[in-house]
Amino acid sequence: MNGNRIIPYPSSTRTLANGLEVIVMPMPSEGLVAFWSIVRTGSRDEYEAGRSGFAHFFEHMMFRGTERYPSDVYARTLTSLGADGNAYTTDDHTAYHISMAAEDLERVVELEADRFQHLSYAEPAFQTEAGAVYGEYRKNRTEPEFALYEALMDKAFEKHPYGHTTIGYERDIAAMPTMYGYSREFFARYYRPENTVLFFVGAVDPERVFALVERQYGGWQRGYVAPRIPAEPEQLAARRVDVAYDGQTLPIVQVAYKVPAFDPADRTRVAADLLAELAFGETSDAYRRLVLDEQVVELLDAGADASRDPGLLDITTRVKDPHKVDYVLDAIDATIAEYRAAPPAADRLAALQRRLKYGFLMGLQTPEAVASGLAQFIALSGGLDSVDTLYATYAAITPADVQTAAQSYLSAQRRTVGVLRAR
Amino acid sequence: MVLLKVAADPTISFAVQFAVGSQNDPPGKEGLAFLAGEMLADAGTEANSLEMILEKLYPLAAAYDVRVDRERTTLTGRAHRDNVDAFLELFADALARPGFEQSDFERVQADAINDLENTLRYSSDEELGKAALEEFVFRGTRYAHPSEGTVQGLRSIALDDVRKFYREHFTAQAALVGVGGGFDDAIVAKLRAAVARLPRGAAPTPPAISPAPIRGRELLIIDKPGADASISAGFPLNAHRGERDYYALWIANSWLGEHRNQASHLFNVIREQRGLNYGDYSYIEPFPNGGSHNMPPVNVPRRYPLFEIWVRTLPNKHAQFALRAALREVAKLVDNGMTREQFELTRAFLKKYSLHFAETTSARLGYAVDDRFFGLDSEGHLTRFRRMMDELTLEDVNAAIKRHLRYQDLKIAIVTGDAAGLRKALVADTPSPMEYDTPKADAILEEDKKIAIFPLRIPGDRVSTIPVGSAFEK
Repeated sequence: MNGNRIIPYPSSTRTLANGLEVIVMPMPSEGLVAFWSIVRTGSRDEYEAGRSGFAHFFEHMMFRGTERYPSDVYARTLTSLGADGNAYTTDDHTAYHISMAAEDLERVVELEADRFQHLSYAEPAFQTEAGAVYGEYRKNRTEPEFALYEALMDKAFEKHPYGHTTIGYERDIAAMPTMYGYSREFFARYYRPENTVLFFVGAVDPERVFALVERQYGGWQRGYVAPRIPAEPEQLAARRVDVAYDGQTLPIVQVAYKVPAFDPADRTRVAADLLAELAFGETSDAYRRLVLDEQVVELLDAGADASRDPGLLDITTRVKDPHKVDYVLDAIDATIAEYRAAPPAADRLAALQRRLKYGFLMGLQTPEAVASGLAQFIALSGGLDSVDTLYATYAAITPADVQTAAQSYLSAQRRTVGVLRAR
Repeated sequence: MVLLKVAADPTISFAVQFAVGSQNDPPGKEGLAFLAGEMLADAGTEANSLEMILEKLYPLAAAYDVRVDRERTTLTGRAHRDNVDAFLELFADALARPGFEQSDFERVQADAINDLENTLRYSSDEELGKAALEEFVFRGTRYAHPSEGTVQGLRSIALDDVRKFYREHFTAQAALVGVGGGFDDAIVAKLRAAVARLPRGAAPTPPAISPAPIRGRELLIIDKPGADASISAGFPLNAHRGERDYYALWIANSWLGEHRNQASHLFNVIREQRGLNYGDYSYIEPFPNGGSHNMPPVNVPRRYPLFEIWVRTLPNKHAQFALRAALREVAKLVDNGMTREQFELTRAFLKKYSLHFAETTSARLGYAVDDRFFGLDSEGHLTRFRRMMDELTLEDVNAAIKRHLRYQDLKIAIVTGDAAGLRKALVADTPSPMEYDTPKADAILEEDKKIAIFPLRIPGDRVSTIPVGSAFEK
């Protein structure tokens, strides 16, 4: 461990014979432990027709129990421990996380090891859970931001599964109750030790955790089947999608550009993260003009996805006057042209680099917060080294790198524009 | 002053809570407290424009924010100790030297109106249903309108109103100051000096909140074409932090409907066993934006909390059944109380689960500040909570349920795209047999028959329907 690490807590990593990687990071925590099981499968892996939303649906099924611990026993046991547990699914990974008192770790690891190896549910329970997923879709679809995002992703990606949102297409959600057999196959393909990382943060002793994990997960069989994810063809022309929203909303505009996959050592790709922030963040000229001075938009936000396959850098804004959508699009274009034409001021870049460092440090409040912040990087790269590399690269980025990123990625043929308006 | 020293924490958290909230909005100017709060947290100061503030905060990765609720307005912020001096200077200015620029005012006013007209009415039916229930229960009182105000109230406010409101209500006497984390005396002294620069004057008198008594069941339908159904129901609760009954009710409520937790019984009945929606919970304290938070929020202390059940969005054709299922579970709890097994399990759960309520220094500071609202000076709510989990008996809990909870007299708010059909079915109290697309266990189907005829008893003259476009208009 050297002084260049951004993460202030040392961690130990061990890989079991079956390929299961275990990372343990002790930190001061008042007796709390966060235990994360990170499966490196997400909606990205839904490459088969009609299966969109399945990774997320499967996350729900992981709470449906085993023969040894049926779902009500699992739930009652976690309840009796007062553990705070939940799960989520993203494009690239699915995470199951439980925050608990250190004294309960052994019991919780036993429960988790059991469901990851021996998940067992009958078809009726599977079908009932499909109803809950439909309910989740129903609550999401009233949000105009969701409606636009769904349409934009569909437009931006023609072949790659990033083209559908994590919750999936509604038609596929409606058909989920019929997919019991596929769900068993999904579990057998992806819920395997070599596709999973266990992450423990807080009041933990690495050697004791390694021994515990070996005991509980040592018998888990390999068998991961890599998904046959189609590569997205290079985008050759600008695209646009207009969405009519059944409700009342200010127009929402999203401008998205294709960017390469997460690579913490690639200066140009990392510079794209900073580019989004410098060009459209709270201290940018665009923000000052559009949000504060002219007050033509209500929100302006931009960021680049850290994704396993090539993803998007997107700029999102809500326009106050429906007649000014084109005006705002022109202003976004003008900003992009500026960043392609010249490097940003060095002092603004330095302020952002300092902000990134302190933002990271201020996020390290609890074991759960630490694990939550780092899980994505573990999912993307399989370990924590990528985080240190990323922050070292952030610190090394020059104004010229930012301009190179703008010239490389923010070109008209790489972009998809989405505009949502009330119907 | 509330000082919460956590030497190992490299950050410092600040909270300044004013004894003023949306209940102090003058009639016709609903939203004044909210805009005053926004003019502190999201606007320039005498020394700096908002643009300059953002520029200065930017490299610190620090920020401050405001929460305006019915009773209290709380300005909070946090910074790393390396940056705390620069941060505190900006925070102190925001507190005591607001700029009150016309252009800032126009921006925050327009944002607030959009928030009601577009976001609350159209983009989350769940938040809409909950806000509609609060309005329905507290109609005619200063608790009725959302803390953000009403559309017409916001429109009628001028910058001079905000200036005057600030001068009269955001006073040193009305401010409670809290600091937490790795601070030193100099930091505390600086914040004290800022508070000393606040206007002088007594805190406003809290208005009387006397909602009309609820007799029987009353229903408000929010007619929103195209919407699925989102249901909230409840009544005012007279139990507060610090009181023994409150902790007893916490146990009962946690069993019935712990927020976003599979321990919730309502969740089990409606989602887990029947798959009707994404979740079903109940509350004895306000829980704004529950869809995005797992743990209870801080800085929303109220004299008049609600007991509230929340049935998340489901198809309109299942709304009557789901409402019956939820009310029937409340009825069973009220009539039969908890069993010993349920009580022991829930008590054990809460003793440890409560460790997660305030894992961070800023959350602990929030609780400590709120403790003052409830008069909990010697033993804070979180400490008392854990003690009560040891002390309370099953008999205490069941007696508190009998004293405070009910299922006959309550108000119901439903957002729906089938206003006419649902109104008709609910008033007629017609059976709502459940049909599933997929097989269910016999025990579930048997229970469904009982749920389908659970009497709703909502008289036609106690049902009102409003178009979504008029919600929170004035």
